[in-house]
Amino acid sequence: MSGLEILSILPTATIQDRGRVGFLRFGVTSSGAMDGYALAEGQALLGNGPDDAAIEFAEFGGRFRATDMMSVALSGAEMQARLNGVECGWRQVVTLAPGDVLDIGAAREGVYGYLHVPGGFLTETVLGARATHLRAGFGHVLAVGQTLMAGDGQRQVARAGLRCPAYFDQRVIRALWGPQSHYFTDAERQRFAKAHFTVTKMRDRMGIRIRPDIGPIHAELGLSIASDAISPGDIQITGDGLPAVLLADRGPTGGYPRIATLASVDLAVLAQIPTGQEFTLELVSRAEAVDLLADYRADIKGLLGRVDPLIRDPRQMSDLLAYNLIDGMIAGGPDDGEQG
Amino acid sequence: MNHTPPDNASPAQPGPARLLIAGDMGILVEFGEVYDPIINAAVLGFDAALQADLPAGVIETVPSFRSLLVRFDPLKLAFDRLWDRLETLLAARDWYQTPPPQNRRKWVLPVVYGDQRGPDLAQVADMTGLRQDQVADNHASQPLLVAMLGFSPGLAYLGQLPEIWQFSRKTEISAQVPSGSVLVAVRQTVLPSTAIPTGWWQIGQTPFLSFNPRAKTPFLLAPGDEVRFEPVSEAVFASFDQDTFLRESTP
Repeated sequence: MSGLEILSILPTATIQDRGRVGFLRFGVTSSGAMDGYALAEGQALLGNGPDDAAIEFAEFGGRFRATDMMSVALSGAEMQARLNGVECGWRQVVTLAPGDVLDIGAAREGVYGYLHVPGGFLTETVLGARATHLRAGFGHVLAVGQTLMAGDGQRQVARAGLRCPAYFDQRVIRALWGPQSHYFTDAERQRFAKAHFTVTKMRDRMGIRIRPDIGPIHAELGLSIASDAISPGDIQITGDGLPAVLLADRGPTGGYPRIATLASVDLAVLAQIPTGQEFTLELVSRAEAVDLLADYRADIKGLLGRVDPLIRDPRQMSDLLAYNLIDGMIAGGPDDGEQG
Repeated sequence: MNHTPPDNASPAQPGPARLLIAGDMGILVEFGEVYDPIINAAVLGFDAALQADLPAGVIETVPSFRSLLVRFDPLKLAFDRLWDRLETLLAARDWYQTPPPQNRRKWVLPVVYGDQRGPDLAQVADMTGLRQDQVADNHASQPLLVAMLGFSPGLAYLGQLPEIWQFSRKTEISAQVPSGSVLVAVRQTVLPSTAIPTGWWQIGQTPFLSFNPRAKTPFLLAPGDEVRFEPVSEAVFASFDQDTFLRESTP
């Protein structure tokens, strides 16, 4: 078995897979990759299975040394990547010789980047998944000095890459009116629907506080409802009128009124918007959201067929993304998470 | 302006229940807006009926105080089909007449009340109007039902205590309380399975652990279960062994 030794890492880096499903009634949310599309890209590049686990980085990577000859894949938000000090590209397979050092730096776009190994990382499984949920104390906690073992996949994979999907530039996020939208007046809902939102620095795997340019959102009623289950992507309005979008590591239940719920396909799109940037919402129908989900699933299924052999040595290419100018047909992006 | 009733209010006419769209992968079956044992019993009864004949494509159902969230894969189970199914089930009977589950599991959980295991006991005595030595007896005098699990893994919300337990949570969130803390407010008891920060009043602690991710049965308490607390001494707490307890108790 081959492994990767951690030479440097941030506490925001975690092991993630598709997440744990079926425990919401016991107070356990799914966790799992913040960008399910990026997770699928890595699986396609290495020929991994859909349940294999990767390392998720938030805004900044880490440094790793290979114990053995192995291929790894990089996906999600493009980060600076250097193999033994030489720049290598993103969204592609990188082959490491024993002792090679892979250095992953700051994100150039987006937020969440992923490092995959053949067969996934073989860390502890809790309630059927490897996804780390730091607050709940589930899953492996990464630390310097550990050697993470890879699974049974092919240790070496032909050098290959994927084109950059379009969703990193997407700044219109699709959403449905939420089950408690009737607690808001029509006028307030119209204000909310037209607002520009800024992603604040109060963001993590639990959720994102977003700041509307129209001041606080006012719930007319519903501030004393009893708690019930929260869906991924619910936008809740707390007493101060600031919306929060609840994501993979959210609390399972809550009692604040939820005005809207993101379309499943846009969960990852929002998660990848850098702090300080703006977006708007587009309220869509349930049927439209399901159509988007169907397209998204078909897109993920097709990833394997779109893995291209790299003609040039990626180590020589600092501008791989610019090189792949054939239009990125990949719409949407995201973690529909619980496809079961 | 209308105001929703406070947490403890019993609406004279609960319902009618309604279905609400909860994102593109969920339908919410809402039986009420507040915590009321009648509403909660309706939720749990409806959940049990649905679980008994679960349509393929349903990912999970999530009962709470007042609603049931049905998460499903809309590409495997058409929205309209599930909606119709839920509507039909809703109309099948008066869910607000659902009695507590007949075959419910009945737990008797040991609790040390007061002192360092229940640092808020004196304040709770003040708020309930009971003497400190009466608080434990009153709290342990009636069986409670697990209304829902939520907030953190395995945390159980139990109801419903008598009127004298109708007081608010603290205005501030306190530092962490340990797993097994017995927390009270708004006629409810909260039993966390992990250490959590909380604004509820801590009157005791049980050595029983409802959730252990590495156990063969990771979650022990489930919605609809009955729990009675039994005041015990520090010595009983110290010698408590979960395996022995589970072998000897037949909930």
